[in-house]
Amino acid sequence: MTTQRLHPRVRAVWVLRAVVAALVLSAPVAVAFYFGYLPRWAPAVAGVGFLLIGVGHAILRYRRWSYEIREDALYLDRGVITQVRTTVPLVRIQHVDSRRGPIERGAGLASCVVYTAGSRGADVRIPGLTPTGASDLREELKRLAIRADGEDAV
Amino acid sequence: MKLAPQSIPYRALQKVSGVVVVLIFFASSSDLGVAVSAGIAAAILLVVGGYELAYYRRYEYELTEDTLDISSGVISRREREIPYGRIQNVDVSRSIAQRAIGVAAVDLETAGGSSTEGSIRFVTPAEATRLRREVQRRKSATASGERADDVSGESPAAGPVEEELFAISPRELAMVGALSFDGRLIGLLAFLGSGSFPVLSSYLPGASAAALTVAAVVAVGALFLVSWILGAAVSFSNYYGFRLSRAGDELRYERGLLRRYSGSIPTEKVQTLTISDNPAKRALGYATLSIETAGYAPGQGGDYGSQAAVPIARIDRVYELAREVEPFGSPSFDRPPKRIRWRYVVRYAVMVGVLLGIAYAVNWYVAIDLPWYAPAALLLAVPAAAHLKWKHRGYWLGEDHLLTRNGFWNRSVKAVPYYRIQNVIDSRTVFQRRWNVATIVADTAGTNSLVGSDAAAVDFDVAEAVKLRKELNDRLQTALAEQRDRRTMFEWFEDDVDGDVSATEGRDDRTEQSVIADAETGRDRIGTDPVDEGGADVDGADVDGADGDGAEKGGNENSTGGDVDQPEDGVVRPDFLPSDRDYSEPAERIDTGEYAVDRNPSDADVAHRSDDRHQEPDPPGDGDGEGTAERTDEERTDEM
Repeated sequence: MTTQRLHPRVRAVWVLRAVVAALVLSAPVAVAFYFGYLPRWAPAVAGVGFLLIGVGHAILRYRRWSYEIREDALYLDRGVITQVRTTVPLVRIQHVDSRRGPIERGAGLASCVVYTAGSRGADVRIPGLTPTGASDLREELKRLAIRADGEDAV
Repeated sequence: MKLAPQSIPYRALQKVSGVVVVLIFFASSSDLGVAVSAGIAAAILLVVGGYELAYYRRYEYELTEDTLDISSGVISRREREIPYGRIQNVDVSRSIAQRAIGVAAVDLETAGGSSTEGSIRFVTPAEATRLRREVQRRKSATASGERADDVSGESPAAGPVEEELFAISPRELAMVGALSFDGRLIGLLAFLGSGSFPVLSSYLPGASAAALTVAAVVAVGALFLVSWILGAAVSFSNYYGFRLSRAGDELRYERGLLRRYSGSIPTEKVQTLTISDNPAKRALGYATLSIETAGYAPGQGGDYGSQAAVPIARIDRVYELAREVEPFGSPSFDRPPKRIRWRYVVRYAVMVGVLLGIAYAVNWYVAIDLPWYAPAALLLAVPAAAHLKWKHRGYWLGEDHLLTRNGFWNRSVKAVPYYRIQNVIDSRTVFQRRWNVATIVADTAGTNSLVGSDAAAVDFDVAEAVKLRKELNDRLQTALAEQRDRRTMFEWFEDDVDGDVSATEGRDDRTEQSVIADAETGRDRIGTDPVDEGGADVDGADVDGADGDGAEKGGNENSTGGDVDQPEDGVVRPDFLPSDRDYSEPAERIDTGEYAVDRNPSDADVAHRSDDRHQEPDPPGDGDGEGTAERTDEERTDEM
């Protein structure tokens, strides 16, 4: 299997999330303006600033994200500020979920979560999959995990 | 089996004591009469006592052939079965009160779940010991494939011989006390103190800067002294009478002055070994060893997770003990590139700068002439600190273990068996990318890794890090393959005992051949291209090894026959086509005469051969095993 990218629509989900985050973050500034501590332009500047950062992060995040199922491991490459590359040996997979949150359902997307017994990388989430893609991936990982046959995954 | 009857009043009192304290508080502060509050207390005690009686009556545990069954619960019932093979460790603890009335608490940990899986609250100490022994005995019995019943004929008390590994001497105990320092109190007081500092300074308007400084120094000194005494007392009582011993395939520990802890850890469940020290210990030639398993859940914190830590011992002794548990040889660490010291210099310089800024701000806020520029003197220590940080980092790839080393003030050397690696994480922060370095973390299921102290090779050159990452993954696959072979071999011996000799002769050397070939390919692979040939290659060989087995036995768990279509290069690649099986229907069963076989064995996309085997069983002497050896040989020549 070659390196897989996420579905482009996941950017919309992330951008939406960035908008919400920007709103929440600039709320205190707006309150400060309301009570007259800050000039009129402050909330707008803060909001736009947060939004730009969030949207930029979402786009870069999409560009960075990739995953690949290799012969004996699931390999993920992601992260904007801290780049993280995780290798999850198929033998170590404990169970696999495919899940769809409300926003994901709205965008017609789903994600797949892989659990291992590890502590730091205990659950690895692959977002931005189509619903059928997510359940296919789940089935595939399950099959590969069984095939890899870890007698004692801990 | 039932709990100890003493546990009823003890549990009731334990639950009520908090309520009683609150009641007494209320009775003394409000106009409620003593008689009334005593009445309320008695009523509560009665209710709780009744509940505990019911709890006692409905609590039952039983050691069955291959599981420990616990059924409990008064209002909602719970029946739990814990397979012996999955039990990570067994801990027994007894507080002073519990010792006085002769009960002990038993905790059985498995890797799953969020809390202690089998918590048996209060049996007699003798029963606790029996439980621990029985669990171990039955576990090793299930592991070796024997039925627990067969062994139970022997006297249950006769376990494997216990061999003492370590017992703490009074001198070492004193040293543990002297060297342990509870920093938490300082943190707390510093936090409280920082809030009250402006208030205090307003009380002391006339005080000179010098007097203030002296007062601060004295206060800090007292703080350190108190923390030190506290830490010493805590660790003295924790490690009083520490003893670590080995009995067969498990480690046993015992410790505690006020609260007595004892327990067992199966050596095969050990995830990580950590050898830690600090400058003081290093100077005196001592170190600490802790043993991690996957048993303890997050949030159990505190003393848990490092129950079996050897608190202090001579460094050579600590290494000897560690090798006793995990034979990792003698490490020689690779350090990060020297240029990385500059990174630490910059980091520490920035930290000093921040400190200066804070000092200046405080000075400006308090408006007393404090020597705010004093922290600048720390700049002198920056190069040394950077060098030391670099010097104490490193990693080493051993035969079967990854060893990492980090930290100067709290240096820890971690040994992780490749077989225990859960996943490998390569991370690079923005700053690390500027220096073209990366951190490789080998994540295990151990407990301490939850607090972020996984085995990590920090700040290694990107090229080296990538190599290390691949290498770790490879070595994990090799270790897994070896483990699998060991199991196959084991099954063989098992078989030879009760199988008929004439039939076994032929196939015996066959498996041996394939196993050896397999191991060799595994070893060869280390040097060559890491990912490509990976596990599937080993899988292929393994499948063949298992095949001979399955064919003779009349087909059972290993339906992974030789008719997996192998491509020319002998590498079996995973099949990514989704299977068309309808999971809402139960799997079709086929009666082979001996026992039923699932038509979709484990749903792995491998050919099952249950039915065709029935018609034409593989003759024992066919070229199957030779084929394996040939194939692997070819492969090896290809690789060379």
